[in-house]
Amino acid sequence: MRWQLRWTSINNAIRWFTLPGKLALLVFCLLVFMAVAAPWIATHSPYRSAGPALSPPSQDHWMGTDQLGLDVWAMILYGARTSLLIGMGTALLAGLGGGVAGIIAGWYGGWIDRLLMRMVDILMAIPRLPAMIVLAAFFGAGMKQMVLVLSLFSWAAPARTLRGTTLSLKEQPYIRMAAHHGAGLLHMLGRHLIPEMMPLLLISMIRLSGRAIVAEASLAFLGLGDPTSRSWGLIINHAVNFRGIYLTPYWQWWLFYPWLFLTLLVTSLALVGRDLETLADPRMRSR
Amino acid sequence: MQFIKKKRVLQQQMRVTAGLAVMGLMVMMLILTGCSNSASPATPQAESDRVMEVTDEENHPGDEASDEPVVVRLSGGDYGYPQPYTTHSRGPGRYKVNLIFDRLVEKDENGFVPWLARDWEISEDGLLLTLYLQENVIWHDGTPFTADDVLFTLAYSKAFPPVGYGGLLTDDAFVEDVRKVDDHSLEIYLREAYANYTEELTALQIIPRHIWEGVTDPESLTGSEGVIGTGPYQLTHYDAEHGTYRLEAFYDFWGPSQAVDVIEFVPVSDEVLALENGDIHLASIPVDVIQRFSDESVYGLIDVPGVWGYRLRMNLQQRPELQQREVRQALAYAIDRQDLVDKIARGAALPGSMGILPPDHRWYHPNLNPYAPDAETAKALLASAGYEPGELSFTLLTGQNQEVRMGELIREHLEAVGITVVIQSVDSNTRDQRLAEGAYEIGLTGHGGWARDADYLRDRFAPAAFDWSDGVPGYENEWLTAELNRQITIMDEQERKASIMAIQEALAEDVPEIPLYFNTGSTVYRRDIYDGWMHIFDHHEVTHNKLSFLNR
Repeated sequence: MRWQLRWTSINNAIRWFTLPGKLALLVFCLLVFMAVAAPWIATHSPYRSAGPALSPPSQDHWMGTDQLGLDVWAMILYGARTSLLIGMGTALLAGLGGGVAGIIAGWYGGWIDRLLMRMVDILMAIPRLPAMIVLAAFFGAGMKQMVLVLSLFSWAAPARTLRGTTLSLKEQPYIRMAAHHGAGLLHMLGRHLIPEMMPLLLISMIRLSGRAIVAEASLAFLGLGDPTSRSWGLIINHAVNFRGIYLTPYWQWWLFYPWLFLTLLVTSLALVGRDLETLADPRMRSR
Repeated sequence: MQFIKKKRVLQQQMRVTAGLAVMGLMVMMLILTGCSNSASPATPQAESDRVMEVTDEENHPGDEASDEPVVVRLSGGDYGYPQPYTTHSRGPGRYKVNLIFDRLVEKDENGFVPWLARDWEISEDGLLLTLYLQENVIWHDGTPFTADDVLFTLAYSKAFPPVGYGGLLTDDAFVEDVRKVDDHSLEIYLREAYANYTEELTALQIIPRHIWEGVTDPESLTGSEGVIGTGPYQLTHYDAEHGTYRLEAFYDFWGPSQAVDVIEFVPVSDEVLALENGDIHLASIPVDVIQRFSDESVYGLIDVPGVWGYRLRMNLQQRPELQQREVRQALAYAIDRQDLVDKIARGAALPGSMGILPPDHRWYHPNLNPYAPDAETAKALLASAGYEPGELSFTLLTGQNQEVRMGELIREHLEAVGITVVIQSVDSNTRDQRLAEGAYEIGLTGHGGWARDADYLRDRFAPAAFDWSDGVPGYENEWLTAELNRQITIMDEQERKASIMAIQEALAEDVPEIPLYFNTGSTVYRRDIYDGWMHIFDHHEVTHNKLSFLNR
């Protein structure tokens, strides 16, 4: 009846992945590796001009340089750190925060439930980007603020999902039995609820991180991130702010590469998330 | 059944064909209007017809070749209703006001030229200014213009200062009295001699007394009576939401005839593409794409003079280290201005001089210490001031976009001599406000007006009380202050120029601020539409002066 994902055998799980899923996982791991190993892979500093401005891809700068003569490859590598950190940070904060809120709402019901769910409704109804622009402008630039702002707008989805699951689990005989024997929420969480919900939570966190990465890039693109940091959205922002960029050849490296990596990361996250979803749902798995 | 079906199909086909034909016709019309160099106004209006009817041969001496009106389309955007109290304070708003209203004195390539004041005299002691006004000037509603209108404008502007006005003519500390001599002359009695008095005559647009008298809320005058001036153009259309304007020639204008009959401002998102598509007829084009236009004979290119510039400002109050001249000089040696020109301005700029006045200023001092970038000299200067590498750190306040990039380069330059820089980027309004309040350590700002009379050096470097919008907080050089206050009282031009030269020498030695570079580049225009563009001596935009639109 209930199916539990055994995380001890990741191999086993990956075997269930589709081919695009496996490829996506590979790309994702590569990107993580790039981010972690950035200082060793990068041949130039991403903060210091390393060559002539706007030179096309060459041996020395194999993704070219930007207006200041900064190496685009180095900026992509360090930008991967920003994107992944913000993606993971938001996923953790919003996923766990939203998850806990959802479980509390589902478990206790009553006014807590109503209060939390109304907040979720409001958050879901507010158009995200405009609100985030206002908040980002208000909180200022910086990685921590960015994660905070993004989390503030992302916890609604996991909260709603987990509330639903909690509600249905609450009616399960073994849970009711445990509750009857006096088990508190904490015990229930550790022993029954979290193991049960972990796959769901994980999937919703992967989705969140994908969205957070795009949102961060959008905000940076709009000029609302830390303008001196290195992130993919910011490279794109600098590039499109260069007057007449589309009429020059410069976009072919300055704009193209950050776009490519952003697309790779977000797509790979989406594909991995999709496959995990299939895995987590026993009905779909049996197909 | 079969027949009916066939008929339906036929009908549908016919409808499609008819639709295509209509679309084709529309496209043809669009192409035709787009191509003909004297396109008729795109939005015919009753008002415009009325103005067009006034046209007669006498008013059109230079236009024998064609009777078609010359229509010039420029990049639009909302800059407020074009009267002195509702326009936005930036240039694109204020020059529209100046096309509708007239000032006492105008500017051309070389200096000041008579306008509503056909002549003026200053007494030997510099205390009495006599103005002789043009006769036969009428307002757009037909009422004659007289000295009373000038007197009224002065009094009214004292009670209600127009947008962005900071002139001295309404200042009691400067003007003792204004008297009307007759209908076309007046006398202004000054309390002290002021060498740059002509500039003050360009500060105000003259408004009609018969309309504005009794108006206590000048911002509410946004009907047609609010835009009655004596200027060469009349407003016939304004749409704030779309940012569109239409100005049409007022053919009973007293002065030189209009070379452009209609000026239309249309919204564009990308000026380069808009110029290529013929949506607008003039645009400032970035260096990297200039090739697309310079090879085409239909386009004309104008070199922009370097009078819009960036400067690095230092707050000596917040950072006492900057009180030491050696530290300021070290910054000047450390910052590679040519590198900023090459990378940020893509080569289309002139590096700044430590004498402050830009190379395109008429009183620019060419023989000053050039402060060629030199990390070793900079380090030595810092060491002589007692600072080890890595000891000094500054927060650099910048605006956004290109300014942040400029900040990144400056950070790189300064870090090469052992000065740490933290960039703080805020929106440009906040930046301006913080500069004015003195809430910064070092700050980056860019603006025009660098070719104006050298008296602006006084605003910057003679110590002010609390308003730092121009000045250097905490900076004081006694000799410089005295000389800056003296030069403005010198009525002899050569003597005053010598004083300004000496001031530049002192500034280049003292480095109270660092001019970075002055944008040059190119303005590209459609030669076949209109070819009369010109620069006045102190402005970088050919469209921002009214002589560009008139026959001279």
